[in-house]
Amino acid sequence: MHRLDQILYYLRENPMLGAGGVLILFIVLFGTLGPLFVDTELARPLSTTSRLAPSWDHPFGTDDAGRDLLSVMVVGVPLTMRVGLLAGTVGLGVGIFLGFTSGYLGGTFDTIVRGVVDTLLTVPGLVVLISIASTIREEISVNIMAMVVASLAWMWPTRVIRAQVLTMRERAYVQMAKLNGMSTMEIIWKELFPNLLPYLAALFANAVNYAILASIGLEALGLGPQNDPTVGMTIYWAITFSALIRGMWWWWAIPILFIGLVFVGLLMIAAGLDELANPKQRKAV
Amino acid sequence: MSDSAREVLLDIQGLEVHFETRRGIARAVNDVDLQLYKGERFGLVGESGSGKTTMILALLHMIKTPGLIAGGRAIFDDGTDLLSLRGDEVRKNRLRRVAMVPQGAMNSLNPVMRIGDQISLTIREHGEEGTKQELAARVTQLLDRVELKPEVAMLYPHELSGGMKQRACIAQAISLGPQLILADEPTSALDVVVQRQIMQTLRELQLQLEATVLLVGHDMGLMAQFAERVGIMYGGKLVEVGSVTEVFRNPQHPYTQLLISSIPSFERRGIFKGIPGVGLSLLDPPSGCLFHPRCPQAMERCSRDEPGLTSLGTEGHVSCLLHEKEETHGTSA
Repeated sequence: MHRLDQILYYLRENPMLGAGGVLILFIVLFGTLGPLFVDTELARPLSTTSRLAPSWDHPFGTDDAGRDLLSVMVVGVPLTMRVGLLAGTVGLGVGIFLGFTSGYLGGTFDTIVRGVVDTLLTVPGLVVLISIASTIREEISVNIMAMVVASLAWMWPTRVIRAQVLTMRERAYVQMAKLNGMSTMEIIWKELFPNLLPYLAALFANAVNYAILASIGLEALGLGPQNDPTVGMTIYWAITFSALIRGMWWWWAIPILFIGLVFVGLLMIAAGLDELANPKQRKAV
Repeated sequence: MSDSAREVLLDIQGLEVHFETRRGIARAVNDVDLQLYKGERFGLVGESGSGKTTMILALLHMIKTPGLIAGGRAIFDDGTDLLSLRGDEVRKNRLRRVAMVPQGAMNSLNPVMRIGDQISLTIREHGEEGTKQELAARVTQLLDRVELKPEVAMLYPHELSGGMKQRACIAQAISLGPQLILADEPTSALDVVVQRQIMQTLRELQLQLEATVLLVGHDMGLMAQFAERVGIMYGGKLVEVGSVTEVFRNPQHPYTQLLISSIPSFERRGIFKGIPGVGLSLLDPPSGCLFHPRCPQAMERCSRDEPGLTSLGTEGHVSCLLHEKEETHGTSA
């Protein structure tokens, strides 16, 4: 109880983290508790009257194919979040491993990693994603979608983490840790890693954002999972059936609103984490 | 206080550290012989670039490419050669046997770790286990030895003053009771009052631990107060070694003489002279004695012959042809 008090007190001091947390919590609760109140069967095509504007019966309206958009969002937002979190975690995980080892150890390994990353970064991401996604289009699922996006989400984290490690490797306290007989792995994980936590938190939020954006980009082009009502696929259907010029604003505006909330929430958490993980910025507790 | 009466802790023989550059090899440490006795305070003095820091980094295997330890031995009292240690032995040797007090304490502590955690982390890294309470008690005791309050363990480095940070670094250095403490200008970033207090603490700890302290610096005043013996380095060579009183009262090497006479004192007033010329280029060292282009007493043969180490009575050595000549005549200084 005492611990909870402290956390609540801290969140009052750090409104960014609190607000971002509340936003993401809302999105998560929307996806987890939503099915208890909303009939997810209505997310399937032809399950209700089509082309209805928002009303009390259908708060977010319905689309051309007869889906209830509230149900679509309850099912689709967690799917999209899952793609983002999975791809972001895999991308950042690979980036942390490669970035720390190549930056700290240097040598041939570093040369190879740097060469591969720099080469791949010059290739336009969307082209690669489209070619990967279109070759495996037959059996694409949400998880495969996440892996497709993750295949390009690791280069940027690798590059920036490596650069940070390069500057930190030469700082006096790392040299002292070496002089005090600490082993290489211990220095990487106990000395360097905690110093990069705020940076990694921000990178994670960015990686998730990138992954969500990339997945929505692929989905909007029709390369997503056809049978899952993800947020991106909803936008794809809205584009395909010209929702914009037919005045069906709820069809495109609602998925965009949810994506916006996710982005803002993640960015606020990243900014708030920076304060939490950096004792120089931390206010006295 | 003669050589035989004191036990040798570390015997450095012919230490060579080279830096390989495009323009040739720079001999940063050039054939240095030095014996450190058990429980003594030795001061190593010299101008910037004379190889002081390089020498102590070599003892810890911290020379990075393009630098390399090109030769020599550093024999510890139990017979191990510090320079021939390999792999994990190097790591285990650091801190347990040879600890270093860093030059810039300001940057030598991890900014996101509490002081206590940093100290206990290094203790555990050397395989000393213990419960959380035991380690905390140990940290408290270490902090107490460097005259810091136990609360400091819970603070982050940016919450400490410069002097406190330096004390914390010393606490970490003595955490495993090393036999040799290498102090690389530990007080260069501090004001004179704090400087004096830190040096007093270091001296008390040295006496308690019966450890040997090798203090590196260019503050002659500090050396005179702290050290028992001093060594003067020039261009990677050890040019003079002797007890602190001998070296200050009766310097033998012309470089040492100029160095001592450039210190302001209350007794001698007037215009102070620096040492003419600039430090040598290690890539293109002069022939013969390295100091001869700046030496007021240089003779013709100084540019030809390289001086060896000449013994000076009790425990001093000097590397100067002026003294070699005297020896051949059978007289001593």
